[in-house]
Amino acid sequence: MDLNERFERALEKVQKAPRYTGGEMNTTVKEWDRCPLHFGFCFPDTYEIGMSHLGLKILYGLINRESWSLCERFFMPWTDMIALMKEEELPLLSMESRRPMNAFDVVGFTLQYEMSYSNILAMLEMGGIPLESRDRGENDPIVVAGGPCAFNPEPLADFIDAFMIGDGEDVMTELNRVILERKEKGLSREECLKNLAKLEGVYVPSLYQVTYHEDGTIASVKPTCPEAPASVKKRVVTDLNHTYYPEEFPVPYTEVVFDRIMLEIMRGCTRGCRFCQAGILYRPVRERSLEKLIDLAEKLQASTGYEEISLSSLSSGDYSCLPELIRELMRRMKEKRVSISLPSLRIDSVLKESLEETQQVRKTSLTFAPEAGTQRMRDVINKGVTEEDLLEKVRDAFEGGWSSVKLYFMSGLPTETTEDLDGIADLARKVVAEYFNVPKPQRAKGLRVTVSTSVFVPKPFTPFQWAAQDTIETVLKKQEHLKQVLNIRGVTFHWHEPYVSFLEACFARGDRRIGAVLKKAYEMGCILDGWNETFRFDKWMDAFRECGLDPAFYANRERTKDELLPWDHIDSGVTKQFLWHEKEKSDRTETTKDCRKGCNGCGLQRWKGVCAYANAGSV
Amino acid sequence: MRMLAVFEKGERIRHIGHLDIQRSVQRGLRRSGLPVAYSNGFNPHILVTFASALSTGACGKREIMDVTMEEDVSEQEFMEKMNRAMPPEMQLSEARAVDRKHSSLPPMLRAARYDLLIREEKYAARLIDAIPSMMARETIPAMRKTKTALKECDIKPLIFELNGEGKHLYATLVLTERESCKPGMLMEALCREANITEEVRVLITREALLGENEEGKLVPLETL
Ligand code: SF4
Repeated sequence: MDLNERFERALEKVQKAPRYTGGEMNTTVKEWDRCPLHFGFCFPDTYEIGMSHLGLKILYGLINRESWSLCERFFMPWTDMIALMKEEELPLLSMESRRPMNAFDVVGFTLQYEMSYSNILAMLEMGGIPLESRDRGENDPIVVAGGPCAFNPEPLADFIDAFMIGDGEDVMTELNRVILERKEKGLSREECLKNLAKLEGVYVPSLYQVTYHEDGTIASVKPTCPEAPASVKKRVVTDLNHTYYPEEFPVPYTEVVFDRIMLEIMRGCTRGCRFCQAGILYRPVRERSLEKLIDLAEKLQASTGYEEISLSSLSSGDYSCLPELIRELMRRMKEKRVSISLPSLRIDSVLKESLEETQQVRKTSLTFAPEAGTQRMRDVINKGVTEEDLLEKVRDAFEGGWSSVKLYFMSGLPTETTEDLDGIADLARKVVAEYFNVPKPQRAKGLRVTVSTSVFVPKPFTPFQWAAQDTIETVLKKQEHLKQVLNIRGVTFHWHEPYVSFLEACFARGDRRIGAVLKKAYEMGCILDGWNETFRFDKWMDAFRECGLDPAFYANRERTKDELLPWDHIDSGVTKQFLWHEKEKSDRTETTKDCRKGCNGCGLQRWKGVCAYANAGSV
Repeated sequence: MRMLAVFEKGERIRHIGHLDIQRSVQRGLRRSGLPVAYSNGFNPHILVTFASALSTGACGKREIMDVTMEEDVSEQEFMEKMNRAMPPEMQLSEARAVDRKHSSLPPMLRAARYDLLIREEKYAARLIDAIPSMMARETIPAMRKTKTALKECDIKPLIFELNGEGKHLYATLVLTERESCKPGMLMEALCREANITEEVRVLITREALLGENEEGKLVPLETL
């Protein structure tokens, strides 16, 4: 029976078949033989998550736009499909032309969160590609990866041939050209990898050697050939207005997590919250112009038919002409019944007027992220938000007719005490009081305050990259305490299980050796670890044991200033020295100003013409 | 004005459920830029209804959407704009402009014509051979799935026509707002008649939705 027929048979039995069938509006099925370069874009999680991801839409359009390359999508199948694929002896097939992964020249994974790593191994294996780089032959695809987690590539060093560090738009095409050249000239895999290493922003882990001290910390990381640079600089796209942005998005038939137009209004953030990795990785701040955004919004609306536009960025409230943008979008979209939503609205954005305009169209619940319960703690993490700020915005919202508010906090931040936990409850209580302060006829019915606390995970390239994560025991105790103090009328409390966060902490700051744990855990059956129903913490712990590694070494150990960190040979533009300086300020509960108000000298000022706010020579 | 448009649900997307088909049509209409009418309220949606929901897993050759227009447009313009706006698996083959007062379609629905492609060839001849004896029976029992349980019913009065050729069965079955014979029920009865206990896989294609004309003849619903 041919492949297609076996696939059809699996589809008849599987749940949620539309995840696997493709054919969505605005997807592209290019003629295979007419395109010399075949790129398989792999999202290492389910279709519903992958199709919500903006990066996929950008790169999908970008690669397909070139006459010489085509891009097809792969997603992680759910467990029932995996079982059916085994039964029917089916490889993982692309969504477009239903070809197996090993028929492609390049397969590229996007690394959005550490808990998707086991899915990468699963997809490679189902795709018929050897798991480890060193086992791949001349006919196997080149396996690449990019995205925020690529900034610490070491845990995946055994499995990924080349990493793209930083903004993908430019380097993607350069990388594809190098791989096309290999194909045309019949270059060996090794030659091709060396050529890739010469591209700015590309890291080829097999060209580096790592040595360790007796205590398990890293002694050295050295390139083993002249093509590989000692330090790999991230790529930065300097002008978003002249950078590719798709004018159409694929529109899934079924509902996905973010089922709407995402308009990236800017990249980067100048706030300098000390726990935030994205805030460092995506520096500097770059805005798209109002005109460009309006133009994109209209084109995307016409090509997708979506009924909602969301503005996407790390800190939309900081966009310099946000009120104008929202007003203009609303004016143009009103006729078309398209609503505008602001997902990451920060509580210190001056937006009362726009808030009032938003409600014309739809009243969603408002989200605030004070992150910590006391001013002291917020100063430690440099979250430039005061209680008065928050309460004022909440009051505005309640007066404006909202009745549903979500508050996000982190627990386990460095120096956190019981007082800081109690502060979370105090804040929630004050928010509730604000609601009841609005006269009854004026306020909307049905107060709902949701408090969510996540477990703090120290991340590379942040001032907390040296910090220890709370042990699972401590986290559980703190959560118990929070549950008690948050037993408040009108307040619902959500918390995250500490086990996933613990593992996330291991892999976020893992070194090359932890790759063996990943492989072992995968072999023991760990996949889809981002999902409660499939996450198996005990197996992960078994895998650590069998590999002779201690997870606490990665998660719960405080690093010293002079320790060589696994990602130190990746240059994010922000210097280690700056991060240490920030860590020391945090220890002293000192804050650092938003760098739009004056450059803080994070290190990017060293790169000419990259940061518009940079002020060379400071600090 | 309302536009009755005939569209396809292609094989590739046959596992898409009715709710998702509805949403895809909504979005297609939005992309088309046609002057469609919207409902009022916080979440305005386009006034479009469907003659009948098609089950998940089945293809449709001539499904019907019923779109209320804000302004009049020609049938040709509607077709052109929609076919540019709809994915390849959901193209339109016909459109007919009717008056806003034209009766709504679901109550006029009488039957549907199906093409059932038998995937396992070895069973095709046996199934086709079993048709005459099954149809000669006084009653043809089958199980009807309700929301809560399985109920036995007689489908004999629900079969207008049934024959077969090669790997195909062709059936015209009752489909109204009140009662219907699903192709699955027919297959169950026919397999029993042919003494086949294994599961027989069929690809279901709904070929046409039918209503009754003044002479009491079954004709395509969109022409009424
Ligand atoms: S170079 Fe200065 S202005 Fe630019 S991101 Fe760094 S601190 Fe901010």
